[in-house]
Amino acid sequence: MTICVSSEERAAIQVEDLWFSYGKRQVLEGVTLEVSAGSFAALIGPNGAGKSTLLRLLLGVLKPHGGRMSILGQPPGKQGQPIGYVPQGIKLPEGFPISVMDVALMGRYGDLGLGRRPSGKDRERARGALESVGMGELGDRRFQDLSGGQQQRVLIARALVSDPCLLILDEPTAGLDPAARARFYSTVCDLQRARGLTLFCASHDVEDVAQHAQTLILLDHVVRAAGPPRDVLASQALADVYHFPPPHVHENSVPQADQGESG
Amino acid sequence: MMEFLSYGFIQRALLTGLLLGATCAVLAVFVVLRRMAFIGIGISHAALGGVALGLLGGVSPLVAAGVFSVIVAWIIGWITRRGEVSEDTAIGVFFPTAMALGVALMSLSRTYRQDLLGYLFGNILSVGPQDLWFLLGLAGVSLGVLALLFKEFLFLGVDEEAARAAGLPAAFLNYLFLTILAVTIVAAMKLVGIVLVSAFLVIPAATGQTLARSVHGMVLLSVASALVSVVMGLWLSWLWNLPSGASIVLFAAALFFLSYLLGSVWRRDSRVSR
Repeated sequence: MTICVSSEERAAIQVEDLWFSYGKRQVLEGVTLEVSAGSFAALIGPNGAGKSTLLRLLLGVLKPHGGRMSILGQPPGKQGQPIGYVPQGIKLPEGFPISVMDVALMGRYGDLGLGRRPSGKDRERARGALESVGMGELGDRRFQDLSGGQQQRVLIARALVSDPCLLILDEPTAGLDPAARARFYSTVCDLQRARGLTLFCASHDVEDVAQHAQTLILLDHVVRAAGPPRDVLASQALADVYHFPPPHVHENSVPQADQGESG
Repeated sequence: MMEFLSYGFIQRALLTGLLLGATCAVLAVFVVLRRMAFIGIGISHAALGGVALGLLGGVSPLVAAGVFSVIVAWIIGWITRRGEVSEDTAIGVFFPTAMALGVALMSLSRTYRQDLLGYLFGNILSVGPQDLWFLLGLAGVSLGVLALLFKEFLFLGVDEEAARAAGLPAAFLNYLFLTILAVTIVAAMKLVGIVLVSAFLVIPAATGQTLARSVHGMVLLSVASALVSVVMGLWLSWLWNLPSGASIVLFAAALFFLSYLLGSVWRRDSRVSR
């Protein structure tokens, strides 16, 4: 296991004046943000605000139409270190018998290269990653037989197999019940502390991430507010983005319109 | 059974059938994973257009069908990737169009009925020595690519976004997969025919899925059930004078229902004991 060094001045993610559109639909309109190494930053915003698009740009799956990005000091896809990616979930056909171990092993596939098979050492690493999220016993089970919360932990393990210093999470708790969400966040926060991981997490659960993250970034095509959760929750921008009465009316609550949405 | 195995044409049919069956069975795992059963139907029917073009143009129908099917598969893949038309719709447009083209062109040639039936329902017992090498070559190459890039196709089928984030060349792999699918379908056309080849791209994997506990287990069971179906299907076809394609697919379906029942009993027991 790598312990990631985090120095105060080093940014894990730097985005400057980023533009992106799907055809004529402008999604990102000059996004600028920074995530410091070793911190937990949460990306919040309504549906269609561009959260997933921003993550896909950072992962190198999409190419920006303008602006600059650097991840761990390098352009996306060029950084010499792996990035862990945790999606909302994976949808398999009913009854497809892929095992928990097989899913975790996929975290090694990018590094192995085309046509090379995972070795015993890769399995060892996958087992270690499963253990680190409390799923070490369940490697032989069918992935589909697990609960939603357990499946998400396996996906965290998959992201950890390559020992990344940065985890990018896209709505990882959508569809989980409150208890499973709480366990999820305690798992990733433990990992953040133990390994010095940087977490960048898009989420609809404003209340949940506000409790765990050090920084909230409110995105609505541009960054509307960024800073410690308390400041962002109290900001006028949050009320505007969610078309919500001014913050002083609902001091500590979450925008109602956002609850119960799954992604 | 021994007498059955002593004929040269049966030996050729068996050899071709076993290799094609194994290739289809491995492909079937990905067809099930990626919910591509309808693409299999689309490509196989489009192959008829290629056969007709080959017959009219004086090119080997198998080669013409191969090239034509690969092109149709790529167009379906390309249109789907652009995201303006759904995959179902793209296949729904190409499948009847290419097949209609095939029927129209074939009706221009004299041997229409006989040829058409041969391609629609297959006749593996008619595989000649030259076809044999060609079909074995196609199946061998497809099987080789599948074996080499198994983990990549699996990753792509399970979670394309994560696979792309990990740096896998997703577009290249997707087109490669469509190419193998089209080539195997055309090769298997001789075995079970256009109408039944799509069944062979689903049923073995469905059988494997009911009993397996891992992807590798599913692949092994899928291949095993396809091999047993080819041998038993050909034997029954020889014994009762049935069309070989139909008897192979019927036997494969029987195996599926058996394993389905076995699987549900097994799962119920394991739930009770847990």
